[in-house]
Amino acid sequence: MSNLDNIKRNPGPAASAALRYGLALASVVAALGLASAFQYFHLPQTFGAFALSAIAITFWYAGTAPGIFAAVLSSIVRDFLFEPNTSAESRILFDLVFLVFALLMTRVARMRNQLELRVAERTAELTQLNDNLKCEITKHKQVEAELRLSEAYLAEAQRLSHTGSWAWSPPPGDIRYWSEECYRVQGFDPKGGQPRFEEFLQRVHPEDQARIVEVIDRAVREKEDFEFDYRIVHPNGEIRDARSIGHPILNPSGGLVEYVGTIIDVTDRRQAEMERKRLHEAQADLAHASRMTTMGELTASLAHEVNQPITAAVNGASACVRWLTRDDPDVREAREAASGVIRNAKRAADIINRIRSLSKKGESKRQFADVNGLIRDIVALLRNEANRYSISIHTDLGADLPKVMVDSVQVQQVMMNLIMNSIDAMKEVEQRRELAIQTRRADDSQLLISIRDTGVGLPPQHKEQIFDAFFTTKPDGIGMGLRISRTIIESHGGRLWATGEDSQGACFNCTLPIPLEKPDKTTADNTNG
Amino acid sequence: MSCPKESKLVAIVDDDDAVRGTLQGLLRSAGFSSKAFESAEEFLGSDYQRETACLITDIRMPGISGLELQARLNAARCRIPTIFITAHGDEEMRFQALRAGAVEFLPKPFDDEVLIETVRAALDR
Repeated sequence: MSNLDNIKRNPGPAASAALRYGLALASVVAALGLASAFQYFHLPQTFGAFALSAIAITFWYAGTAPGIFAAVLSSIVRDFLFEPNTSAESRILFDLVFLVFALLMTRVARMRNQLELRVAERTAELTQLNDNLKCEITKHKQVEAELRLSEAYLAEAQRLSHTGSWAWSPPPGDIRYWSEECYRVQGFDPKGGQPRFEEFLQRVHPEDQARIVEVIDRAVREKEDFEFDYRIVHPNGEIRDARSIGHPILNPSGGLVEYVGTIIDVTDRRQAEMERKRLHEAQADLAHASRMTTMGELTASLAHEVNQPITAAVNGASACVRWLTRDDPDVREAREAASGVIRNAKRAADIINRIRSLSKKGESKRQFADVNGLIRDIVALLRNEANRYSISIHTDLGADLPKVMVDSVQVQQVMMNLIMNSIDAMKEVEQRRELAIQTRRADDSQLLISIRDTGVGLPPQHKEQIFDAFFTTKPDGIGMGLRISRTIIESHGGRLWATGEDSQGACFNCTLPIPLEKPDKTTADNTNG
Repeated sequence: MSCPKESKLVAIVDDDDAVRGTLQGLLRSAGFSSKAFESAEEFLGSDYQRETACLITDIRMPGISGLELQARLNAARCRIPTIFITAHGDEEMRFQALRAGAVEFLPKPFDDEVLIETVRAALDR
C-alpha cells in the first residue's frame, strides 16, 4: 500500500525541477532552431507549429508548470524574433492560440497523470494479488509436503502393524481405495492395480468365502459395522490369518455411501499367542511334575496325616461301642464319642481333598485367596514330615491381610518346596531345629511371606545360584524346586529370594502383589478347595 | 526320680489333639483314668511321672520323640510300662522299642481290645 500512497503524492514526472524547466527551454530552443533553418532555406514559416510541438512535449514529459513556461517562452520568441512587425491583433491571436493549447495540454497532462495513477494503483493491486498467490502456493506446497510425510508415516505404521485400510462401495459399486498394505496382506501385486471385490474374494480361503459374504450382506442390509476373521490364500499357497473390520458411511438422509475399514494380518500375533499358551502349558506341566515328585517323597508323611484322624475316629467308634455295650449303657457318652467320629472322619476327608487338589493337574486358575489359609493347610500336611526330624514349626501369620489373586495350588506348591528345603537343611544339624513362617503386609502393594530355618544355611555365593535350573546341593535333588517356585511367584507378579548368613540358617522371602480390586462375594471364599 | 506302683493312672503323650482326646475317651469307656500330654517335654516337666502306671506314647513328635522319652525315663531309672503307638513303625523301630522295655508296639489305628488288654496287663503288674 505504501507504494500506492507514494504515487498519489507525486503525480508528475519524477525528474528534478531544473531538468523539467531545462526541457521547456531546450524544446523551445529546438523549435527556434528548426524554424530558423526553415527560414534560411526560404521554406514556409513554421515556428508556430514547432512551438506548439515544443509546448506539447514539455507538457507531456516535464509537467504543467514547465509547459506554461514553454508557452510563454514560445510567445516571446515568436513576438521578438520571427514577426516583430505584426499587428497587435495578430500577436494577440497567436498568444491566444498558445494559451488555449497550453490549457488543453494542462488538461491532457492531468488526464495522463490520472491514468498513470490508475495504472499504478492497478499494478499495485495486481502485485499484491500476485504476492498473495505466491504465498498461497508456498503454503500449499508446505501442506502438500506435510501431507506426503503424514502419508509416509501412515504407510509405515500400516506396514509395521500389518494393517491395511480400504474404502468400498457396496454393489453396484466396487473397491474405491486400497492401501499399499492391503496389497501386501492380501497378496496382490500393486502393479496390477486396485483389485475388484470379486478378486479380493478369490483370495479368501474357500471355506471362509460363504461366511464372509453373508456377514457383509447382512451388515450392508442393516447399514451396520461388520467384523470377521478369515484366512487368506496367497498365490504361493501360503495361508495367513486375517481380520477385517468395516464401518458404514451414511449421507445426511441416512443412505449408505460406502464402507471404510481395515484388513489386519494377525498370523504372527496368533502364532505368538499359541506359543505363549504352549509355554504356559509346559510350565504348568513342569510345575505339576515337580509337585508330584515332592508329593512322592512325602507319601509316608501324608499317609500319617490321614492316619491321625482315622485313628481318632476308630478310637471314638470303639469308645462309643463300649459305652453302649456296657451292663449299664451310657448314651450321653456314646453320643459324644460318635460325634467325635464324625468330626475326625471329616477331617480325614479334608486332608485327602487337600492332597488331591495338590496332585490334580488342572488349568491354572487365579482366584482370591487368603495366604494364611493356604499356609495353614500346607503346614498341616507337612507337620508330620517336620516331626520326623524333630523340627518344630512356628507360624506368625499377620492378622487382617488382604486376599491375593493367586493360583492356590501353585502358591501352596511354592510353600511346600520352601518348607521341604528348610526341613532338608535342618535334618543334619545338632542345634535346635526350628522353622518360622511369617506373613505380613510389606507395604500398600504387596504381602511378604518369609520362611526362616535354623539349618545349615546358604553360602553367599549360592544365594542366587540356588534358583538356577538343575542347581542342587542335595545328593538326590534334581535342582528344579526353587527354579519352578521362582517362576510361579514371578508369574504372579511377586518376587522370591533368599537371605541369611552362612551357617546361621536360611530365610526365603516371597512377595505377592495385593490386587487393586477387592474380591466380591462370589470369589471371596475359596481359600481351600 | 522314683516311680511308685500303687497308682492306676495312664499317661498319654501324643502331639495330635484328636488322637489324644479320643484315646482318653476310649480309656474312660474302659474304666481307666488317664492324663494327656501334648509333648514328651510336657510330660517330663510334670509331676505325673511318679503316679503314672502305664505310658502310652506316640513315637514321632516334634521335639523329643517317643523313643527318646523312653530312653530318658530309663536313664532316670523310672521304668514305666510303655505302649508305643505309631502310624509308620517299621520292624527296626519296633525291635528297638521292645528291647528298651516297651510292653507293646501298636500301629495306628489300633484295635481297642488289644490296647485295653495291654493297658490292663500293665496296670496289673
